[in-house]
Amino acid sequence: MKKIITSLIMLVFVGNIYAQQDTNSNTTQFMIRGYGSASYTSLNDEGTKESSFNTGSFAPIFLFKMSSKLLFEAEMEFAYENGELETVLEYANVMYTLNDYMTVRAGKFLLPFGTFVERLHPSWINKLSTMPLGFGHDGITPSSGIGIELRGAFTISGSKFNYSFYSTNGPTLNDGSEEPDEAGILHFDNYEDNNKNKSFGGRIGFLPFTDSSTEIGFSFLNSKVGNTESMYEDVKSKLFAYDFSFIKKINPLGGIVDIKAQFNKSIVDDAEYFEPDGNGGFEEYTFENTSDSFYTQISYRPSMSESNFIKNLEFVGRYSELNTPEGAEWESSINQKTFGLNYWLSWRSALKINYQVTDGIGGHGGGLVDKKLFTIQWAFGL
Amino acid sequence: MKTLKIVAIISLIIMWTTSCSPERASLVQAKPGVQLWGENCMRCHNTPSPADFNDLEWTTIEMHMRVRANLTANESKKVFDFLKSAN
Repeated sequence: MKKIITSLIMLVFVGNIYAQQDTNSNTTQFMIRGYGSASYTSLNDEGTKESSFNTGSFAPIFLFKMSSKLLFEAEMEFAYENGELETVLEYANVMYTLNDYMTVRAGKFLLPFGTFVERLHPSWINKLSTMPLGFGHDGITPSSGIGIELRGAFTISGSKFNYSFYSTNGPTLNDGSEEPDEAGILHFDNYEDNNKNKSFGGRIGFLPFTDSSTEIGFSFLNSKVGNTESMYEDVKSKLFAYDFSFIKKINPLGGIVDIKAQFNKSIVDDAEYFEPDGNGGFEEYTFENTSDSFYTQISYRPSMSESNFIKNLEFVGRYSELNTPEGAEWESSINQKTFGLNYWLSWRSALKINYQVTDGIGGHGGGLVDKKLFTIQWAFGL
Repeated sequence: MKTLKIVAIISLIIMWTTSCSPERASLVQAKPGVQLWGENCMRCHNTPSPADFNDLEWTTIEMHMRVRANLTANESKKVFDFLKSAN
């Protein structure tokens, strides 16, 4: 596997050199962009302390422009975790520009469910070194899907609208047959569909002001999630999200204020699940399978300072929370406060110092959650 | 019901802002690329330096970013024309 990856990387680097020698903008172009990070973490988990340097991650993005309307893009993520090199295909899709208002994409793409995953998660864009609760592993929001999407943007009377509608394989319900502790959880990253139903989702974004400083968005994703010919085949899920963004250089404050927020809700039809009763049998139970998560983040960068050092600083604060179903094996009610101080070495490289406190109850293992995390991360865009 | 209320409020905001003034449309249409570069890129990340990529690379990045950042065709053309002119 490693040999194949190394060969592929060598191949695309060589291809990049040749492609960039071409001066005709209408012919095939190829380039590699991406991002990476390196970090140090120190964790205090209910009194148990550990610290480590981490290799972080490397996520090359491959862009193949085949014509002025046709582009293939793919992102892989390489990370070294638990003694192994982990590789993830974040997305790989082909897109075609139909006209000024419509672009169609097919393949694996980041889902525009809110804005965090699609726009803000790369380490050199994310102003903190961690993701808010509700995203990523054990999250309740989808990050990518395999299917087809139609999207675009347009203006009406100076206000801007953007839209995306897509159909993908959709989420899969964990029925607990193999992992009783996760019965009722939705899994989103499905390369193969578990039923004949395809999910339908979308997002509408609205930027009311002419300076594009403010955006509000509504997203949804509806799907059947149970396995075909199982007792869960009619179980449906409805997910929706609201997002908000405000960013503007404010002269009286001498810098840039950036506010982001997103609320996510997941509603899955009630179903009967089974857990071991301790005597070799199973006990049936059910619960109201609704989850929600929320985050809001504010940052300030004194970009108008006369000091080159101060103008590259950025102060960040974020609050997030996650509530999963009462009565589920994975029931939790967790909140998280994160504070950060960034120093921007260039427009695409930042040194981030973060302190994060996570409190609550539940999650895997149950009981109290009491974590304090200190991280230093060097993130860079390529 | 709660969702309906939120949708209704957003619809009212949309109707109010889009019917405010006919000059708004021409104001947006007349914005130069350098202004759109400043306003749109910073919605997610710092504004990129034009010098970091050549014209061919900016052309490829344009197709990627137009979709990722939900830029209109007019915005995309002006922003990347500016980046190619200033690198």
